[in-house]
Amino acid sequence: MNQKNDIAVQVSGLAKNYGAVQALRGVDLTIGAGEYFVLLGPSGGGKTTLLRLLGGFIRPTAGQILLHGRDVSEQPPNRRPTSMVFQSFALFPHMTVAQNVGYGLRLRRLPKAEIAARVDAMLEMVGLKDLADRMPHALSGGQQQRVQLGRSLVLEADILLLDEPLAALDAKLRKDMCLELKHLQEQIGITFVHVTHNQEEAMTVADNMAIIADGVLVETGTAQDLYENPQARFTADFIGENNIFDGRVSGLTGSGVEIDLGFAKFTVDAQGQTPRVSDMVSVSIRSELVRVLGPGEAPEALLQTVPATYGEAVYLGLATSHVAKLANGDNIVARHVSRGGTSDDFEAEAPLTYAWPRTQMRLHLS
Amino acid sequence: MGDDYTRLWTYRLKWLYTLLVVFTLMLPVFYVIYISFNQNGFGARDYVFTFEWYSGIFTDLLLMNALGNTMLLAAITTVLAVPLGLIAAKFYKATGTDRAKLLTVSLLLSPLFVPADILGSALLVFFKNLNIACATAGEWLGVSWFETWFELGYFSALVGLIIYTIPYIFVVILITMGRYKEQQSEAARSCGATAWQAFYQIEFPQIRAGVFSACAFTVILSFNEYTRTSLLKGGYDTITSVLISQMLNEGMSEQSYAMSSLISFIAIAVIGSIIIYTLVHTDRLEREARAKAQPVMSS
Repeated sequence: MNQKNDIAVQVSGLAKNYGAVQALRGVDLTIGAGEYFVLLGPSGGGKTTLLRLLGGFIRPTAGQILLHGRDVSEQPPNRRPTSMVFQSFALFPHMTVAQNVGYGLRLRRLPKAEIAARVDAMLEMVGLKDLADRMPHALSGGQQQRVQLGRSLVLEADILLLDEPLAALDAKLRKDMCLELKHLQEQIGITFVHVTHNQEEAMTVADNMAIIADGVLVETGTAQDLYENPQARFTADFIGENNIFDGRVSGLTGSGVEIDLGFAKFTVDAQGQTPRVSDMVSVSIRSELVRVLGPGEAPEALLQTVPATYGEAVYLGLATSHVAKLANGDNIVARHVSRGGTSDDFEAEAPLTYAWPRTQMRLHLS
Repeated sequence: MGDDYTRLWTYRLKWLYTLLVVFTLMLPVFYVIYISFNQNGFGARDYVFTFEWYSGIFTDLLLMNALGNTMLLAAITTVLAVPLGLIAAKFYKATGTDRAKLLTVSLLLSPLFVPADILGSALLVFFKNLNIACATAGEWLGVSWFETWFELGYFSALVGLIIYTIPYIFVVILITMGRYKEQQSEAARSCGATAWQAFYQIEFPQIRAGVFSACAFTVILSFNEYTRTSLLKGGYDTITSVLISQMLNEGMSEQSYAMSSLISFIAIAVIGSIIIYTLVHTDRLEREARAKAQPVMSS
């Protein structure tokens, strides 16, 4: 299954309507073979619809789906090179763990001995060797999801689809299983397409990911790309914790873009984009890059500063968020690593300056 | 059992009351059984115990013929109506909108709301007219091979029984189907199963209880049916219609009492075993249902 340069999934102009509701609108997407790809987005954004279209559980309203170069748009699930892991309730309750895992192999009418051997090997791989004869209802949530994984992986399909596979698990278990999934995928080398609304889960497992919201593919990239250099305003809002300012382009100077925010004027590098004067645009800055300067503290050069009225501190363990109000009434947040004690506290209503490196600001045209 | 605060005597009283109700309901049946062992038959002053009437059952051609007809009608109705009801329930579950669901339910349950004699006589008129139409068309075309297709008999009685039983089958199957999670069919499809394999290997084993209850229900309903069957086939053709027609015209024969008792024995035995089986397995079924409803959240 070594097709590193191959394309596993190629989707073009894919759309799905439910009556008047457009669940997915003209999505183009390419996923390389052997990639761990994550579809990330808010609930109801269309990511599960996209996954179910790939799996063949729903028929596209428009567009085309190529899996390993073969057009499967009109094929039922059992004729596609895919296998799916569901969120929950998907184990066959009248079969033991081993029978669940061996179901697909029995459908292929393989010899009994071969089925038994492959089921054994798969149970070993997903760590359920001792539970082979249990019924699904006697398993914990985490174990049930392992059985589902085993049932799909044993088929050696080229593409594994995972629909919120960890959503029904508690936080601690979800973290552990995330890493396990990642290692499993590296070991087997097939393409994983994983749907989640959980940012941390996505960043843990993904080689590449796509942000999907409102039925539209917003942006694709690696976790680092999307966290550090999001192109779309939506991505900046959805991933990490960003301060976002909306304003109008008031002037262009070389690669610099001057933006009027009403309460202040920022100058941002265009980063290869081509805004026009009087366009509505947004600027974002990650909250961990923002620093709070005390009264009378002079800003260093190359810092962008704004005056703000201090609101409150929110202690989050590793970090503490300092929330303040801007002149236009919006909130601005600075996240500092918590230092313990109360040494970094400020007084409410105190006039302070929030500052961050100019070069770290990002311009969003959409 | 009750909770810790249940008083033993009220608990016993409830049971006593239940048994009393059952006994009251079954009293006429016991009376029929009592008569069936009396050599002098119904209404006689002297009671002489005998098995004579029971041995007479099997030589009574009317009853034997009726038994054959009854079993045949029940069997064919079950074989035809249960799959139809099952398909209807599957369609109902797959239907997307509430409006379509409401329409499906209203259409399927409507035979329940039409009184038996009205539905029966409506079908009778329908088949009579169909026969006249067939005869006229046959004369006109000069051929006669289709003229007897819709004559009153097995076919018309079957149509009546199927219309009558489908709503019950639909509801009984739908109740068990409600618990079934559709993701399991999808999981089966993604394991390589065809739609039929997913239904037969994954869904059916989980709704089997509902399908079997629907079958039992159908057999009982078609067995008991008098109005539609006697209107659409004839008054002396099935056990129930024979008994009722005898009762209305000349009074039941002694063999008929024996026959009724025999059927009661068998019915009580069958239903009793089903109840005992269910009681024994209720705990397991409930445990499984609970486990499916609430997956455990930690490892």
